[in-house]
Amino acid sequence: MDVNEAQLISRCQQGDQEALREIFNQYHQKVYRVAYGVVRQREEALDIVQEVFIKLFRSIRQFKGRSRFYTYLYRMTMNTAIDHSRRMAKGPRLSMDEEEGIQVSDDAERRPDRILDQKELEERVKWAMDQLPPDQKACLILREVEGLSYLEIAEATRSSIGTVMSRLHYGRKKVQELFKAYMEGGR
Amino acid sequence: MRSECPSASKLLEKYFDQEVTPEERALVEDHLPDCPVCRMSLDSMQNLRSLIKNPVEKAAREENFPWVWEKIERGIQWKERQGFWDVLKSWLDVTPLLKKKVLIPAVAVAILILVTAPLLFKKTTSYPAMSVVEYVESETYNVMIYQPENEKVTVIWLFNGPEEEVSPS
Repeated sequence: MDVNEAQLISRCQQGDQEALREIFNQYHQKVYRVAYGVVRQREEALDIVQEVFIKLFRSIRQFKGRSRFYTYLYRMTMNTAIDHSRRMAKGPRLSMDEEEGIQVSDDAERRPDRILDQKELEERVKWAMDQLPPDQKACLILREVEGLSYLEIAEATRSSIGTVMSRLHYGRKKVQELFKAYMEGGR
Repeated sequence: MRSECPSASKLLEKYFDQEVTPEERALVEDHLPDCPVCRMSLDSMQNLRSLIKNPVEKAAREENFPWVWEKIERGIQWKERQGFWDVLKSWLDVTPLLKKKVLIPAVAVAILILVTAPLLFKKTTSYPAMSVVEYVESETYNVMIYQPENEKVTVIWLFNGPEEEVSPS
């Protein structure tokens, strides 16, 4: 942890909201990516971002610097996102994407057939990822989306490197198999 | 075609995740040109990574975060207010036993005090003390002049005789 970050965390631990804002500016993309990776819905992911930073502000005094700050934040995000997806599974709500249609960035992507393909593909990925146990899902997202090393994932998930490798291996294998089954019409 | 190559399967995933030593990397890279199974396995892992990662990247690029910060700020302030109410609630939150043995008698005593206090400490009305300033006797009337201590009023009494009061003015 560099000196600036340590000072920022210390200020935030004393209740300085401006320090939290700086942390937010630095980390909101990472938090959003992990949240979106888990729930795969824009509105839900944004709710998780809010929840994580409010939680962080209230609980940052418990951060003693024994792990790196970003792995601490990844852990908090992952736990919040998994809790959120469990609640979603109990009572699903219509996401912003479903309400307003998929947001697209260029002309080729605006073609209706492409939109349908993308949406369908996204749904398939979400479905396959949702079949994984939370631990495997967490490892897969932290590795594939955030590109964390085995050591960083182990720190964020409070497990050993061997466990991370095993979860990644079985997680990948299961998603590939599910994806294959889906493609063959076995959903 | 086999789905897994026995010679490199253990290293292939570590290689894909860039977690191999330089020696292990060299081993895998020597092996890959001659092994279509491992090449396919690598492609498959790469495809899966793209499937998981690309939509997330796209969603993150298109998102506008400043309003999210505003909501977080509001959320923190709301939670702080809620924190005060939680403290108050926990203060008032007593166990049923405590409620029965302490709270109910305490409320009863408070009500009793509220009801009886005005009766006990009720002020009695009293006339202000007056002192006679002057007394004049004459053949027709006797006149007595009173001056109260705290009031700027003078009371004059007229008497027909020493016992008979006529009128105050």
